Amino acid sequence: MKSALKIDALREAVARMPNDRLSDARLAALQHLDDQGTPTTRHEDWKYTNLASVIDLSNQWLADGAESAPPGSDSATIDAVTSRFDANWLIIANGKVDLDSIALAQEAGIGVALLSDSIATFDFDAPLADLNIALLHDGLCLRIEAESELSKPIGILFIDNATAAVGVTQARVEIELAAHSEASFIEYHASSGTASHYANTVVNLDLGDNARVSYVRIQDRHHAHSQTNRLGVHLGRDSRFSHCAFDLGGKLIRNDLNIQVTGPGASASFHGLYLAGDGQHIDNHTRIDHRVGPARSRQEYRGILSEYSRCVWNGKVIVHAGADGTDAEQTNHNLLLSENAEIDAKPELEIYADDVKCAHGTTIGTLDEAALFYLRTRGLDAQEGRQLLTRAFAQIIVNMTPITAMQETISGIVADRLANLIDGVE
Amino acid sequence: MLEIKNLKVRIGDVEILRGVNLTVNAGEVHAIMGPNGSGKSTLALVIAGHDGYEVTAGTVTYQGRNLLDLEPEERAREGIFLGFQYPVEIPGVNNAYLLKAALNARRRHQGLDEIDAFEFLKLAKEKMALLGMDPKFLNRGVNEGFSGGEKKRNEILQLAILEPKLAILDETDSGLDIDALRSVAEGINSLRSPDRAIILVTHYQRMLDYIEPDQVHVLSEGRIVRSGDKSLALQLEEKGYDWLREAATA
Amino acid sequence: MSTSSEKLESLVNRRYEHGFVTDIETDTMPPGLNKDVIRAISARKKEPEFMLKWRLRAYRYWLTMQEPTWSHVRYTPVDYDSISYYAAPKSDKDGPKSLDEVDPKLLETYEKLGIPLHERARLAGVAVDAVFDSVSVATTFKEKLSEAGVIFCPFSEAVRDHPELIRKYLGSVVPQRDNFFAALNSAVFSDGSFVYIPKGVRCPMELSTYFRINAANTGQFERTLIIADEGSYVSYLEGCTAPMRDENQLHAAVVELIALKDAQIKYSTVQNWYPGDENGKGGIYNFVTKRGDCRGANSKISWTQVETGSAITWKYPSCILRGDNSVGEFYSVAVVNNYQQADTGTKMIHIGRNTRSTIVSKGISAGHAQNTYRGLVRVMPQATGARNHTQCDSLLIGKDCGAHTFPYMEIRNPSAKIEHEATTSKISADQLFYCRQRGISEEDAVNMIVNGFCKEVFKELPMEFAVEAQALLNVSLEGAVG
Repeated sequence: MKSALKIDALREAVARMPNDRLSDARLAALQHLDDQGTPTTRHEDWKYTNLASVIDLSNQWLADGAESAPPGSDSATIDAVTSRFDANWLIIANGKVDLDSIALAQEAGIGVALLSDSIATFDFDAPLADLNIALLHDGLCLRIEAESELSKPIGILFIDNATAAVGVTQARVEIELAAHSEASFIEYHASSGTASHYANTVVNLDLGDNARVSYVRIQDRHHAHSQTNRLGVHLGRDSRFSHCAFDLGGKLIRNDLNIQVTGPGASASFHGLYLAGDGQHIDNHTRIDHRVGPARSRQEYRGILSEYSRCVWNGKVIVHAGADGTDAEQTNHNLLLSENAEIDAKPELEIYADDVKCAHGTTIGTLDEAALFYLRTRGLDAQEGRQLLTRAFAQIIVNMTPITAMQETISGIVADRLANLIDGVE
Repeated sequence: MLEIKNLKVRIGDVEILRGVNLTVNAGEVHAIMGPNGSGKSTLALVIAGHDGYEVTAGTVTYQGRNLLDLEPEERAREGIFLGFQYPVEIPGVNNAYLLKAALNARRRHQGLDEIDAFEFLKLAKEKMALLGMDPKFLNRGVNEGFSGGEKKRNEILQLAILEPKLAILDETDSGLDIDALRSVAEGINSLRSPDRAIILVTHYQRMLDYIEPDQVHVLSEGRIVRSGDKSLALQLEEKGYDWLREAATA
Repeated sequence: MSTSSEKLESLVNRRYEHGFVTDIETDTMPPGLNKDVIRAISARKKEPEFMLKWRLRAYRYWLTMQEPTWSHVRYTPVDYDSISYYAAPKSDKDGPKSLDEVDPKLLETYEKLGIPLHERARLAGVAVDAVFDSVSVATTFKEKLSEAGVIFCPFSEAVRDHPELIRKYLGSVVPQRDNFFAALNSAVFSDGSFVYIPKGVRCPMELSTYFRINAANTGQFERTLIIADEGSYVSYLEGCTAPMRDENQLHAAVVELIALKDAQIKYSTVQNWYPGDENGKGGIYNFVTKRGDCRGANSKISWTQVETGSAITWKYPSCILRGDNSVGEFYSVAVVNNYQQADTGTKMIHIGRNTRSTIVSKGISAGHAQNTYRGLVRVMPQATGARNHTQCDSLLIGKDCGAHTFPYMEIRNPSAKIEHEATTSKISADQLFYCRQRGISEEDAVNMIVNGFCKEVFKELPMEFAVEAQALLNVSLEGAVG
């Protein structure tokens, strides 16, 4: 196959990794990856996203000696992000955990440690997650106790500074929420530097019985950088997971959100907004496995596409046998603003239980001409009219941001991004 | 016609009816009133044969037969009609079709010939005229997209066509504005007859301004705590249900 | 309410009504497929040389292809060497020239099937081409049709009598190498129907074909080609049955529709191949490629299908909306019970400007059956003003069945307006109780509710078919509820 990962070079790179408590996991992951191979567009889950460019980039990086960039990095961007959103920030820069940020977080009462200092076990379930472990320097492990009283959200900033010829980084965070605990998280992805870069991140979130999580993910990478990202969530009995994601930047972006409902009474709402401009490819795959019922899930993703861009939204709801009392809804709306944009939408329902209520709805179209005309008769010019309508379209997701204190700032960021996108639209 | 003795009913672990006694004779109109959650709708559904409820004690005798042995459709064919509090929508199923099927099921059961589409239409239009309903109703899906008031009126139309012996009308007045209430009540009054009994289940007494009951019962926490004539309803209107509760505990 | 759903699951099984075997001698080829078999089929049909070459090319493609595995169905693999690729009633080697010459046993078969052949056909105003196993046995109403210039004949006859039309259109919508089953069909197809409606002609009656597999261990590979020339209209009905047999039988048909400028084709199917018994034994593997090409501007192709039979259904009647302002429609009811599996849906490929498509799919699953809707709506960059509306509903009866929805939307034009809605639910206990309270039995109530659920599709069927379809639906679901 043309763009297959060069496994021998990868094996050498893994062999050069430090000998620590993650060593066995790295070798196991490598083996699993070798058995499975990296996904191609022949795989149903990768039908619309060709990973060739990031695999080529990874191969080049391996050929160049698989050097990891030094952790010293872009403090301007870090400052900008951490000052914009009030949170206890944990920072993973160029795939390396910032130890100072751990210390600060610990002072603030957060149970956090290096992955290599924790007893973590890994599931080997997806090729890119395997790649993540195989090349992982270290990661973070968080545990939120029931009595933790956290005044602020926990921020996790993944930041890469692409100064080397080509960069590839892996980052991983494992989060466990004890029964009856509650916490908010901000997952932020940023990058700078003009070299080619590929980041591969994994976050796992395990909600104990009755745990509550608000989760906001913002991806605002440099337009030349690519990323694959996976968020795995387990929902215990009566737990509640509220999630909102914003994809603004990046070149080739693929997000997998996998939710396992394993406790009755759980509820999940997961929403997202993707804004794609010239040269961007943004793919959001969500999958929720309703393994027990009753449980409720709601998702709404919205996308705005302009210029030469392509977005993919694939939402899958699986209701397993016996998951009676499942109530699942998925919605996807897309605005196409350019003749050169493409949206591939695939809302899937797979249902093996009968006492269920499931629905999905998808729309694809452009701005409503009648509404535009109406605005013009009220004195707005066409450009202003488009701004107004696209912002209104996007604002619906912004308003669902579960950490309400972030809404205003996010609204501003989205408006700025939209202003850029619409600039070229006639 | 209907005799309920010491009826106890539960859903899961929750006991809803805790020993209800009630006798209804042909030609009578009974009103069952009570606060929300007192078990009024449960009583109506148990008489109709809903299988979501477990009868743990007591008897229900209808025209000398043990009613509890019968399937819901058998009860219906024997002349029991339940006007639902929340009539369901059945998309795509034509109102006329359901009604004709229901009527013929009953007629078969009675050993009568089935009536054909033509006769049925004539009958239905007659009844609709009586109730002041638009004949277009017949061609719509069962309750599909109906307003609350239309659904309730549709129940009364079914009542008029099926001509049951015992009609139980569960909160037929709720969700109706005053004009709709008046016309529904007129419809019900026109169906009063010496060989038919009617049980009105209601939270408010306003329906009883239009339909005069022979007896009023108050159901509270799964028991009939007081019975009387229509003046009881007026007392309730004035003093509320708490008065009775206090009276009961005093 | 749980008792009610348990009852729902336990309602009985009526037997497959069409499961008789007709006892007539057949001329069957030995099992297995190679070039000689294809030559023999072609020779027996007295085909011109071009047709044989076409078949052999398809066979070469087929040898290089893999059986598809992406669909949501599981079955024991087909042993292509154990199938006989040709079976014909033997009674009259040269084929019957009129109904009088048809073996009376065959006619009896059609009587049992309730096919409006013969006088009934005349009364019903339906012209019937009946394909029994692999050959076409009788086409009624030929004369009346030929007055209008309509050609409606067995495919093999068209190959001999209208080679120019066959050459021009065969494989132009479904190429030989389109997919594994289409390639197999192209190599070995034995018969089917051919329709040509000349310019400006509104076909004076509904055309109809009944297909039946009778012989054991045979595959049926019929081929249908319908060409509606400019400004013409035709409504075509297709019905299918097969006897009960313990082993699975393969049916791999290809249907090609071509609608030229301003032409309309309405294609309705009631598919009732033997679905296997209540334990999933036997039944037809129905692997069918159906595609329509709206080649001219303002043309319209409408597929309506009621699928109640077959052990496995793999079928996606599609429309290529090439002509400007062309319209594609797909209305489907798919019912599966016991261990049936269906993976069916459509593709709407928008190429021309202002093309419109509508998809209405109603899936009903009962017993241990699995029902999948799979559909594609693709809007090409040049397809300005494309519109699609898709409504996809599933109804579940019983806790062991499955309902799945896999829609694909690939949209590359900003002026497109695409709407997709889907729902999945079970028959509500409240609806059932409501009907029973009105004195209607549970089984009748289920039939009533299911028919209501399918109404949008049934109203697209020609009247006489709609009645049959409803009856079939009720039969299919007997045993699902109780």
